[in-house]
Amino acid sequence: MTKTTVPIGPQHPLLKEPMSFQLGLEGERVAESAMRIGYVHRGIERLCQERSYVQNIYLLERVCGICSHVHATTYSRAVEALMGVEVPPRGVYLRALMCEFERIHSHLLWLGVIARNIGFDTIFNYAWRDREIVLDIMEDLSGGRVSHAANTLGGSRFDLTDEHRDKILEQLQIMDAQIQLLLGAVEHERTLRERTRGIGKLTLEQIHRYCVVGPVARASGLDIDLRRDRHEAPYDRLEFAVPVHTDGDVWARTLVRVQEAVESVSLCRQILNSLPEGPVTTRVPRRVPAGEAISRSEAPRGEVIYYVRSDGSDKPARVKVRTPTLTALVTLSEQLADVQMADVSVVLSGVDLCIACADR
Amino acid sequence: MPFRVRSLIYMVPQIIRSLRAPSITVRFPFAPAVIPEGYRGVVKVHAELCRGCSLCVRDCPAAALELHRENRETYRLIYHPERCAYCGQCELSCNFGAIYQVNEISRSTLHLSELETVLVDRKPEEEDSEG
Repeated sequence: MTKTTVPIGPQHPLLKEPMSFQLGLEGERVAESAMRIGYVHRGIERLCQERSYVQNIYLLERVCGICSHVHATTYSRAVEALMGVEVPPRGVYLRALMCEFERIHSHLLWLGVIARNIGFDTIFNYAWRDREIVLDIMEDLSGGRVSHAANTLGGSRFDLTDEHRDKILEQLQIMDAQIQLLLGAVEHERTLRERTRGIGKLTLEQIHRYCVVGPVARASGLDIDLRRDRHEAPYDRLEFAVPVHTDGDVWARTLVRVQEAVESVSLCRQILNSLPEGPVTTRVPRRVPAGEAISRSEAPRGEVIYYVRSDGSDKPARVKVRTPTLTALVTLSEQLADVQMADVSVVLSGVDLCIACADR
Repeated sequence: MPFRVRSLIYMVPQIIRSLRAPSITVRFPFAPAVIPEGYRGVVKVHAELCRGCSLCVRDCPAAALELHRENRETYRLIYHPERCAYCGQCELSCNFGAIYQVNEISRSTLHLSELETVLVDRKPEEEDSEG
C-alpha cells in the first residue's frame, strides 16, 4: 500500500502550541510518526543565570501560562532550601491553596480542549465557563489571572481576611456543583466514552519504561502523587483521594483529571478552613550561600523538578527545569502507532501536552 | 434512547441559567472597564516618599524602571509601562512605601515614547522647600 505523509503543525488548529508531526499513513491508519519540538524555546534556563534570584521568580513563572504558580513555587522552595529559610505555616498553606486552584483551572481547561477536539462543544463551553470561577478567585487573591506573582522568597505575597475567605468558600460551593455536573456528564455521556475509549493506550510497563508521571501515569494504574507520597505540609494534614484507573487510554485520563479536579475543590475548602494564623512570609538573607538544591512539586501535569546551583553570587550559576510534559512527549510515537487518522486529535490532546513547559 | 434523556436532564438547568444570566461583556471604551479592586495595574509613586535608593530598579525583572541620577539630590525615576510585567516586585522591594500599583490599565498608543512616565523628578530646591 502506498504511504501518504500528513504534516501536522507547527501551526495547526489542532495544536494549541507549536510543535510538528509527520504522520505516515497507510490508508486511514498511522503507520509511522515523527515529532519535532523546540518552536517555543526561549532560553529561559540560560536567562536565569543572567538575573538575580528575585527576578527569576517572575521569569520562571512565565515558563508556562497554565501552571505558572507551581513553577514559581518549586523554584522558590529550591532557593529557600539553599538559604536555609523555613516558610511560615500560613505561607505554605496559601501557596498550596493557589496550587490547587491552578490544578482545577488546568484540568478544566484541558477538558474543554479535548471536548472541542472530539467535537463535543457543549462540554467545552461548560468547562471553560466554569473555569472562570476559579480564574476570578485567583485574580481576586493575587491580582493577576494568569501570572499570579503570588510567590516571594520566604513565603506568599498575598494574605486572606476572614471575609475574603467566606467569599471564596461561597464561590467554591458554586464550583463544586458545576464540577459535579461536568463529572456526571463525563461519566455518563456515551459520545465522550465511545470517542476516547481504547485510544492512545499505554500499559503500566510502558509507563515505567518512559518514566511517565502525573495523570497519564495514574490513568495507567501507577499510583503516584507527590502531594501524598512526600508527607509534607499541608497535604499530610488534609484528606484527599488520588484517583487511579487502570485502562491507560484517553477515557481513563479524562476520568482521572476530572476526579482530581473534584478532589482539588475539596482540598481548597479544607485548606481555607484549616488556615493557620501567623505571618505569611519571613525575612530572607540577601545573599544565597554556595551550594545546590533540588525541589519537586506535583504540578497539574505531574512532577516538576527544579535544580538550582549557587556559587555564592547574586545570580544562580545554574537553574535546570524538568517538566512533566517531557516524559509524556516521548510516549507519543507509541500512542500514535496504528490509530485511525481521525483519532490523532484525541491522542494528541489526551496527554495534555504543554509545549511551552517542555521547550522553555 | 435513555442516554439522550439523561443528557437533556443535566442540560435544561444550564440552559435556563444561561438564558437568565446577564451579559458579562462591556462596551469598552464607550463604557468603563470593569477592573477588580486588587488588580495589579500601572505603577505609581508617592514622590515625596521616594529617596532614590534604586532598590525597585535593581529588583525589577523587566527593566521597566530607570533611575537617572546626577548627584545625591538630583535624580529622575522613569517608568516604561510597555516593558512592565505588572508583577509588583517594585512595591515589595520599596522600603519606604513610595511605589505602589493601582487597578488601572495603561492606555494604548502608536508611539512608545508617549508611554514613558516620569514618576519622580527630584531637584535640590524642591527638597529644600519640603525640608
